[in-house]
Amino acid sequence: MPVDSGEAALVAELQLGSEVAFRTLVARYQGRVYRTALSLLRSPEEAEDVAQEVFVEVYQTISRFRGEASLTTWLYRLATSRSLKTRRKAHAKKRFAYFTSLLGFDNDILHEPPDHAHPQALLEGRQQLQLLLDHIARLPDQQQVAFTLRHEQALSYDEIAAVLTTTVPAVESLLFRARQTLRKHVQPHFRHV
Amino acid sequence: MSDSSFRTSPDEEWADLMRQLQDQPQAQPRPFFYNRVTAQLSSRATAHRRGLPVWMLRPAYAALLGVIMLALSGDASALRVAPDVPSESSADFGQPQTPSPH
Repeated sequence: MPVDSGEAALVAELQLGSEVAFRTLVARYQGRVYRTALSLLRSPEEAEDVAQEVFVEVYQTISRFRGEASLTTWLYRLATSRSLKTRRKAHAKKRFAYFTSLLGFDNDILHEPPDHAHPQALLEGRQQLQLLLDHIARLPDQQQVAFTLRHEQALSYDEIAAVLTTTVPAVESLLFRARQTLRKHVQPHFRHV
Repeated sequence: MSDSSFRTSPDEEWADLMRQLQDQPQAQPRPFFYNRVTAQLSSRATAHRRGLPVWMLRPAYAALLGVIMLALSGDASALRVAPDVPSESSADFGQPQTPSPH
């Protein structure tokens, strides 16, 4: 992503320790960071935690920011990597709970956490959208990030490539495979069939 | 009259689904998000000033550390089975009996 002058000025002020600049940064990017985390985690609480951690990390490490990537790219990168980390931890916890339950230990973690079904899908009864969201969550990490950034955050291929530190053809390939998988699972539920 | 005119192709259905995905309402974090971020920053700064790593602020880790400290401090030695220390009488057992000078 190209670094605009406003962004560069904001980074310079942040590196000087300006609180006003930090407040501006949070106000400007909190929505994008939160929505990216929410798209990957589908849990408002976890997305909020990830968004907070992203801004804390930015505050603590901005002095080391050299501008190889744009600030926006860096924020998306932090948001996606932290979200995936959170998800991996949750899965590991679930696996551990399952394992201990096999051994006969009582384990509260085994109880399924509340299913945070997407509000719009619930509200309008759009089962197809909910089905799609369920299958997006099952995609491999890289495919999921690419698909989410493209179709939910409306990032360009170049921007996604910068976030994933890869090339545009690699992003095209990730998206192609993600769409193929998703269509295979969602298509049988279309009305015309 | 056939209802085929109302039917859509899989490609159109897919495109429609993608539109729905993109047209979702723009979610936002709860109000006063900035305040929560700064609160977290200051709590981490306090922990740093105290010289405590952040993980130590978690009660489970702190409790575990306490148990380890207790175990290492030697208070747990009472729980250990005492080794067979030979008694005074048995210590003499097998020793050649030397005649008393008196």
